[in-house]
Amino acid sequence: MDFGILSVIIFLPMFVAFSMLILPVGAKGTRNAAFLTAIIIFILVCMVYYNFQLSGYMQFREHHRWISTYGINYSLGIDGFSLIILMLIATLIPSAYLWLWDGRTKGYWVSMLLIQTGITGTLFSQDLILFYFFWEGMLLPVFMIIGMFGTGNRVFSTIKITVYTIMGSLFMLISILYLGVAFFYEFGSWSFALNDIVQITTLSRTEELWLFAGFMIAFAIKIPLFPFHTWLLETYSNSPTGGVFLLSSIMAKLGVYGIVRFVMPIFPDLYKEFAPYFVWIGIFGLIYFGIAALMQTNIKKMFAYSSASHLGFIVTGIFTLNVYGMTGAAFLIIAHAMATGGLFLLVGKMEYNLGIKAIPALGGIAKKAPVFTVFFGIMLLCIVGLPGTNGFVSEFLIILGTFGFSPSAGVVSALTVLIAASFMFWMFQRAILADNGNDVSQMKDLNFKEIVGMLPLAFLIIAMGVYPDWFFYKIEPTIQHYLVDILEIRNY
Amino acid sequence: MNMPDFIYILPLFFVGVGAISLMILSTFKTITIKKGSVITLLFLLFAFFANVYNLNNEDGVYSIYPFVDIFNKMIIVDTFSGYFSTILILGAILTILIGLHYFQKHKGFTVEFFSLFLFSVFGMMLLVHSNELISAFVSLEIASISLYVMIGFEKVIDKRIEASYRYLVLGSLAGLFFLLGTSFIYAATQTTTLGEIGNMALNTVDSNTPLLIIGGTMILITFLFKIAAFPFQNWALDVYDGAPLPVTAYIAATFKAAIFGFILRLVVVDFDLIIDVWDKILVYIIIFTLAYGSFLAIIQKSLKRMLVASSIVHTGYLLIAFVSISVIGESAASSIIFYLVAYFLSALGAFGLIAYISSADQLRITYDDFRGFAKIRPYMAAMLSIFMLSLAGIPSTIGFIGKFYIFTGAIESGHSILAVVGIIATFISVYYYFKLIAVMYFYRSSEMTDVPPLQGIAPLIIGVIALFIIWGGVGNTLIAYFPGVDFLIDMAKSSYESLFLYG
Repeated sequence: MDFGILSVIIFLPMFVAFSMLILPVGAKGTRNAAFLTAIIIFILVCMVYYNFQLSGYMQFREHHRWISTYGINYSLGIDGFSLIILMLIATLIPSAYLWLWDGRTKGYWVSMLLIQTGITGTLFSQDLILFYFFWEGMLLPVFMIIGMFGTGNRVFSTIKITVYTIMGSLFMLISILYLGVAFFYEFGSWSFALNDIVQITTLSRTEELWLFAGFMIAFAIKIPLFPFHTWLLETYSNSPTGGVFLLSSIMAKLGVYGIVRFVMPIFPDLYKEFAPYFVWIGIFGLIYFGIAALMQTNIKKMFAYSSASHLGFIVTGIFTLNVYGMTGAAFLIIAHAMATGGLFLLVGKMEYNLGIKAIPALGGIAKKAPVFTVFFGIMLLCIVGLPGTNGFVSEFLIILGTFGFSPSAGVVSALTVLIAASFMFWMFQRAILADNGNDVSQMKDLNFKEIVGMLPLAFLIIAMGVYPDWFFYKIEPTIQHYLVDILEIRNY
Repeated sequence: MNMPDFIYILPLFFVGVGAISLMILSTFKTITIKKGSVITLLFLLFAFFANVYNLNNEDGVYSIYPFVDIFNKMIIVDTFSGYFSTILILGAILTILIGLHYFQKHKGFTVEFFSLFLFSVFGMMLLVHSNELISAFVSLEIASISLYVMIGFEKVIDKRIEASYRYLVLGSLAGLFFLLGTSFIYAATQTTTLGEIGNMALNTVDSNTPLLIIGGTMILITFLFKIAAFPFQNWALDVYDGAPLPVTAYIAATFKAAIFGFILRLVVVDFDLIIDVWDKILVYIIIFTLAYGSFLAIIQKSLKRMLVASSIVHTGYLLIAFVSISVIGESAASSIIFYLVAYFLSALGAFGLIAYISSADQLRITYDDFRGFAKIRPYMAAMLSIFMLSLAGIPSTIGFIGKFYIFTGAIESGHSILAVVGIIATFISVYYYFKLIAVMYFYRSSEMTDVPPLQGIAPLIIGVIALFIIWGGVGNTLIAYFPGVDFLIDMAKSSYESLFLYG
């Protein structure tokens, strides 16, 4: 692939977005262009997947000088961990577009395209400044899409998430600059490339701690990790469906990705040293957000907390320092993105049909919309972790990894999976299955496009649950590389 | 007459002659505002090309004292002054182009205004060419006095007169400090020429050092006053707010560049002796400037006052790089120069666009007046958003690159705490800059007031500035021969080098 396939994947959506802005195209034309873009990108990503070699190192490297005075380069590359997230993005976005098909304005589609550029750019960047560029740039279209198309107190929500996230990323920026300067003082030339930054040896422990904190705060806000979650509820419940879909299923994962990609190789010692704390923070988040989800009467808010709860579990997985936990985390990233993304789309449709309603005011939807209920059930079982879904495989692996890390943490994490089961089934029973005599006659079943959009997600959830090995083999060398070469753990 | 020497001062010559000829022309009734502005632009363009010719003329860095027998090293022409002159002339051209609509719509302006305008440009250019304290004072006053008059030019509005007087009184007071400082320095070193002050200071007895420090500090006070740093910032809000919008843009963006141009030369060439003393004071000054400026900017309801208050914050950022000079001379100086360009473009664009929008009436002034603006004028809203993003330092704008240099320099020179304070100020600034974007895009407009449509030269120029801001933020070396970020930095670096050619 020497035509810069990664660059095309990044910038094609942006190019289409700006062309649409300038050209006198209506909402429909923009939507068609956006969908076509998503399909083209899906094909390109499949080519990347097919050509991906089984190794733990960066592939598809692209390298151009950018700001040469400070050694900042436009440098891209992917490894197994990025690859699975990339596959995820490429599969989810066309599905989501089919769901958002009708009634969206031009600005909505343009924002979605721009968010896609930001996400993929963040995923490929191998230079810290470039990474920061996309990381911050991603925020602007999110700011616009929530502010313009959200519900409720949308302006307040969007300012809140923007300010919150920018605060985190500015501390990360300071850390990045500090690392760059440290590299300059040690080696005499400027560089912000990840491969160079990891070679720094001169930092004192205090310095390292501060820098570690700078990175971790930025990523913890994005995930969100307890106690940086206070933006979550308002943002998720006030965002438009497309926005909350991207936020929960993809952007939150980028926080985890950031930890693995940058924090782990730059501060391997601190990563190992603080791993126990983060395992427990993750488990605590799992419990805390699980209980919070149990209390909600609004389905969207419940999913917001359930999403945060699972992300806590993913964080636990990446800090277990063994191959089970990490593979499980990578797997849960996919499983959770598909299930939660699908659920947010389904709930978005329900809200669109019925208006925003509390759980007790719903019920009897199963009779009215059977296909809807089937898909809802599949996604839900995946979240709960029923055997046969990929949710089960990933949760099982993480629990196994946690046991390997510390038996007590393993026991607690195994038990807390019950919380998800309880709130999910309880909600499912009350809101969808039981006929409480509430008026849900406005509810429509899925149309053809929506079924087509939902099928790949449902298929993958089951396929990955039944034949997980198909999907493991591309990522395994990467995880081993992380453990052996970066963290230098021999007996994983 | 010595021809090559004359070519070097040709830019100055064009601007000066332009100012005088406009003064004469203004007595004729047939010269309208439009004709006057065209003549002004012509002279500025001549000066611009002469200046670019000088910059390209030499291979690499140059430094010359033109007419040594007459001026005796009072004036210097080097890459540094050439670079700053380019910024200043460009600022003047853009101000005229952007403000033209405003000047035509408002009754108070006459052709004399353009004469004064050129005099102020002349003063600023002379300031960055000055190699001697007295001539620096004279050129500073030429620029300042022209500005006093320009601020109060619309005599019918009380606010303008008040602003003009306030600036006149306080500005003159600050000017006196400069003179007093100069005399102290003369007492200590028996010279006022830059380059000699430092040498003399090294060779004279130690008892003169306090004199030198006091003198230098007094000049620093003038400098801090002119750039509106804490604790000399109080005039800025009312004066800038009282001035006509294009003039505000001109002072905030261009005049600041000129002041920094001179003070950089002064500090880099001569004052490394006493910059250690300043360092400690400046750290506190920066922290207070950033804090107070941010506070002022948050509480403003008027957009213009917010931009003015935030210009104090930007002064703080520039000062962060300024304290780093003693440790990392080259990169700090070039980061100041780069940030000046970045701020200059963003502020000029923002002020200019607001001037254009409010030129017909004075309606669109506060945040609330911009409710739903994106629906009425999508392109203007997009441009205004770009300027806000650049001022806030969001990646993909030139403002981010500027902040990147400043903060990297601060960390490099061991002032990490200043970088953190700067980051916090940046974080706060996100609030007041994004508020405008939120207001423009997220609300429905209550009433449709008459906004001038996109026509004429001003919106075109503002659009070009907006594009350049984006280009400066993402531009790379992929497109050869087109100046991008690297070009600006290299230019800044070579102008810094030129300061040492006669070291």
